[in-house]
Amino acid sequence: MNVWQLAWRVSQHDKRTFWFGWGTFLVFFTFPVAIGWLLGRGFGALDDGDVGRVVRIALLVLVCEMARMATIHYGAIMWTQAWVHMQTLLRANMLIAQVASGGPQAGQPVGSSGEAVTHFRDDTEDVTMFVDGLIDVSAGLVFTVFAGMVLGSTNGAAAAVLLLPLAGVALATRTLDGRIKQYRVADRAASAAVSGMLGDVMAAATTVKVNAAIDPTMSRLQTLVDRRRHTAVRDRVLDDGVQAFSQGAADIGLGLVLVASAGGLASGSFAVGQLAVFTAYLGWLSFLPRMTGRVLARRKQAGVAFERMSRLVADRDPANTVTERALPVGLHVARHRPAVERPRRASMEHVEVRGLDARYPSGAGVHDINMLFARGSFTVVTGPVGSGKSTLLRAILGLAHDADVTGEVLWNGQVIADRGAFLIPPNAAFLPQVPQLISDSVADNITLGVVADDALAVSLQLAEVAVDIAEMPEGVNTLIGPRGLRLSGGQRQRVATARALVHAPELVVLDDLSSALDVETELRLWANLAAAGMTVLAVSHRAVAFDRADQVLTMASGTLV
Amino acid sequence: MATSTTSRWRALLALLRPDASRWGVLGVLLAIGSALALGGPLVVRRIVDQASAGTTSADIMRLAIVYLVIAVTAQAITVAVSWFATITAWRTTNQIRLRLARHVLGLDHEFHRQHTPGELIQRVDGDVTSVSDFLGRVVPRAVGATLMIVGMIIVLTAVDWRLAAGTAVYTLISIAAVVRGRHRAVGESSDEMGSYARLYGGIEERLTAAEDLRANGAGQHAMWRFVEESADAMASSVRRESAFLRMWWAVQGAVAGGSVVALVSSAVLVQRGVITVGTAFLMFQYVLLLSRPLEDVVDQLETVQKANGAMVRVIDLLAVQPTIVDRPSIEGAPTPRDGALSIDFQGVSFDYGDNETVLRNIDLSIAAGRSVGVVGRTGSGKTTLSRLLLRLVEATEGTLQLGGVPIVDIPLRHLRDRVALIPQEVELFSGTVRDNVAMFDPAPTDDQVVAALRQAGLQTLVDGGIHRPLGAGGAGLSAGEAQLLALARVWLRDPDLVVLDEATARVDPQTEQKIEQAVAQLMAGRTTVIIAHRLSTLRHVDEIVVLDRGRIVEHGDRSLLAADGDSRFHRLLELALDIDVAVPRTDGPRIAGPRIDVTR
Repeated sequence: MNVWQLAWRVSQHDKRTFWFGWGTFLVFFTFPVAIGWLLGRGFGALDDGDVGRVVRIALLVLVCEMARMATIHYGAIMWTQAWVHMQTLLRANMLIAQVASGGPQAGQPVGSSGEAVTHFRDDTEDVTMFVDGLIDVSAGLVFTVFAGMVLGSTNGAAAAVLLLPLAGVALATRTLDGRIKQYRVADRAASAAVSGMLGDVMAAATTVKVNAAIDPTMSRLQTLVDRRRHTAVRDRVLDDGVQAFSQGAADIGLGLVLVASAGGLASGSFAVGQLAVFTAYLGWLSFLPRMTGRVLARRKQAGVAFERMSRLVADRDPANTVTERALPVGLHVARHRPAVERPRRASMEHVEVRGLDARYPSGAGVHDINMLFARGSFTVVTGPVGSGKSTLLRAILGLAHDADVTGEVLWNGQVIADRGAFLIPPNAAFLPQVPQLISDSVADNITLGVVADDALAVSLQLAEVAVDIAEMPEGVNTLIGPRGLRLSGGQRQRVATARALVHAPELVVLDDLSSALDVETELRLWANLAAAGMTVLAVSHRAVAFDRADQVLTMASGTLV
Repeated sequence: MATSTTSRWRALLALLRPDASRWGVLGVLLAIGSALALGGPLVVRRIVDQASAGTTSADIMRLAIVYLVIAVTAQAITVAVSWFATITAWRTTNQIRLRLARHVLGLDHEFHRQHTPGELIQRVDGDVTSVSDFLGRVVPRAVGATLMIVGMIIVLTAVDWRLAAGTAVYTLISIAAVVRGRHRAVGESSDEMGSYARLYGGIEERLTAAEDLRANGAGQHAMWRFVEESADAMASSVRRESAFLRMWWAVQGAVAGGSVVALVSSAVLVQRGVITVGTAFLMFQYVLLLSRPLEDVVDQLETVQKANGAMVRVIDLLAVQPTIVDRPSIEGAPTPRDGALSIDFQGVSFDYGDNETVLRNIDLSIAAGRSVGVVGRTGSGKTTLSRLLLRLVEATEGTLQLGGVPIVDIPLRHLRDRVALIPQEVELFSGTVRDNVAMFDPAPTDDQVVAALRQAGLQTLVDGGIHRPLGAGGAGLSAGEAQLLALARVWLRDPDLVVLDEATARVDPQTEQKIEQAVAQLMAGRTTVIIAHRLSTLRHVDEIVVLDRGRIVEHGDRSLLAADGDSRFHRLLELALDIDVAVPRTDGPRIAGPRIDVTR
């Protein structure tokens, strides 16, 4: 699909707001034609000294202005909704691809979430700006055709002269808009360097202070802010320049009209009423060339935006960013939280990993892994940093997305086709080494949907976090702040452990939780899981884990030894 | 309220003063620009009047060319103003940024505990950028518009006093109408920004947690929250749009009303022979000219409002003062003798101002050159002890002496040179390996940096070249290597007292050994305090201090305590399984493992 087709799909996500919005814009742009024409007639009457006619025309102008305002009011509100609808579709498709557990929708995970947010914010903006620009061009075209007819019939030669500055506006906008984008990218990079440095320094304020490094740090910051000043000035001045240019084109256009019609003015064949029509239209006439130039630049940007967004979706296919789906975000749409669908529980007897290989582009990974564990068993994987323990767990669960994975995992002897989709609760649950929580209540973070209250309470007990939660003023309804930062590191780890246990999964996979827990708590946790009869596959360095394990597997350089 | 507005303006002017001459030049440019904008329509007036009086086409041609030149020059001036204003605004505000950054870095540890880095970036850079946009865009336009309106009234007074009076009244009414709609629009606009911040914040959080969500089948749950937040965003966008439309009604109504009134009143005046048709045309053009600043008010409103809030926050931030500062009479202050520092706590207590005592009545003497391990459960006050040694916090009661001098008497600069900290979480900077070891200081030579890295056991980083970039957040370095890098920082500085705060909590046993060796070398000739979770780290220390709930419950030689079967340290060693002691296997979920209960 090319940019036009993709943009068309986006625009058709919410047809009502799109077509009504567009329609009103077209109507809106016909009013200035009428108003300018009336003003011209008014000046003609004024020249003739007919005050009565001037008053009648003035009243008509007022009526037209009111109608114009009413149109734009309705249109702008409609278009605001259309705008959000379009962006929401793109965002929804990217987000689904990033959070789907396997299946055809799942896309490649992105490295840095901070950078990925720019796809949701800036790239969706670029696409909607392109659609928006097309609407503007069509509306500008309506105005220009009608106004051209009026001006042409008034004074053909003077009207023809106007083509010159208007073509200039189109050309300049097109050229400069591309440059603006370049400058903006450079400015954003320079700004990112400044805020990156500031963020590093503020996060490490104590380190900077105790290392007596305030002065050198400040002089580095000075270099960065000075560099950003250059990029910022370039960016903003060019932006202002383009705006000034199209405003100035109206004044220059009037000058050219005066030059071209000097003879007519002197002889009286070009009357003051006609000059008034030209003056009234000139401010609007630069709209079409400006928007045409702009839309050409925006088409390129929208193409880049689709290309960037496609990195997040399945098969990196831009078409998957515009997949139509029902999104109840409209103003007066009733919303009901849908029930979370989960795979059917497949009771596990034993799991076998056969010839599993996961190789990252860097060459690291795990090689030829074979293992077998039965229901109720406790398997510990250990080994030095970088030996591939986490990669092994991810490869088993179908989460090693960047790696080239071969080999298979068998559930009760049957090969699992899509491990990402199958190995989720209630079949399996996973606790990453550094678990991530979201700014929600404790309960929401653990259940991620709906579960029975007693299942929640049991999971808190098992994860050794029940006492902590009970001491909080709001209990499980306590809000834990952005990324769960209101909890201590150990509490975050245990809340995330409860999350892995709440659906009583057939298989619990825990990446190294020792780092955030003290020995005592870890010991109790293993005992709890054993008492609950859970099947556990875990990474640990601690003897308390080895001591309880049914088998301890040691990894070195990507293989089991 | 009035005073705060005045003080805000005064503060703003104080910030502009260093670049006063540049701002002056800008004012002159603006005046020329306004004069040109007003001059163009005067030429057109001449043309219209001459045309109705009957003249040659050469005359009109000459005037038309004058008009064209004015139009082109006016555009050039507009761009020049924009360039000059932006460059001056950024020059001025960069000074403010640096001043704020330095100020914030100098604030107490406690301040940084309460404010996230993200918030501080926003306050040091984001807020100042708002001020910068205000200075660079709004101020020149506002000044330009004011000059133009004043000039317009002067020009019209020369033509006819009635036109001047009418224009003045009209301008005042229009501005009042726009400003009235302002408050609601600004409120809705910040609501909208809030709901988009929630939307993007939520997306960012879900992307960060994407693996957790995928692995736990929570995609649908995450999507639903996204749908709800998008619906909120749409509702707030529509509310903001309708509030702004109201202001737009006011502006467009003013322009439409103005041109109609100008047309009718000019018609009457022309008919009575008071003004010429050319003057009527001048009025028509001036009404169009006035619409530009009115539309600007709508465009720039958010910038003004943001800058206003930002200005208040900048001033507030500058008003926050650090509490940990040098004694007033710093000259002749005693400094500890060179060489390893002795440590002497005398009846030291500490709380964070919330009535929960963190340390109680600590008495502890460590001779110069000794190494001490501090152990105890989370919350026993270990970290606070380290902060006291670095004077990041101040003892609530009692005194702490380093090298025989009370720590509060030692000039901070001197203290920072002699005491170093290796924290649990090592912070890395986006920059080269060298930047990270020398902390951006150009003074140490490359050889010194390399030597420090080698001492810390980071030959691998030396091999890759120390001018190679190292990502922030430790990209390219494991947790263990980051710890070693923190050791290299300390080697380079060669301090007399080193405090290690749980420096090996996050590394695997092999890296831990490597760190241990490096630390053992570092200890020579210095006093060392090692706070540890893992007792294995304490194999080489001379003494052990056991802390529990803010008190020292045990202090003695490591070897003696380890051998003493009744000591708490011995029990801790048993529990941690760091020495070869078997632990009974337990099965119930409630009673697993022996508890560390030092009150027993």
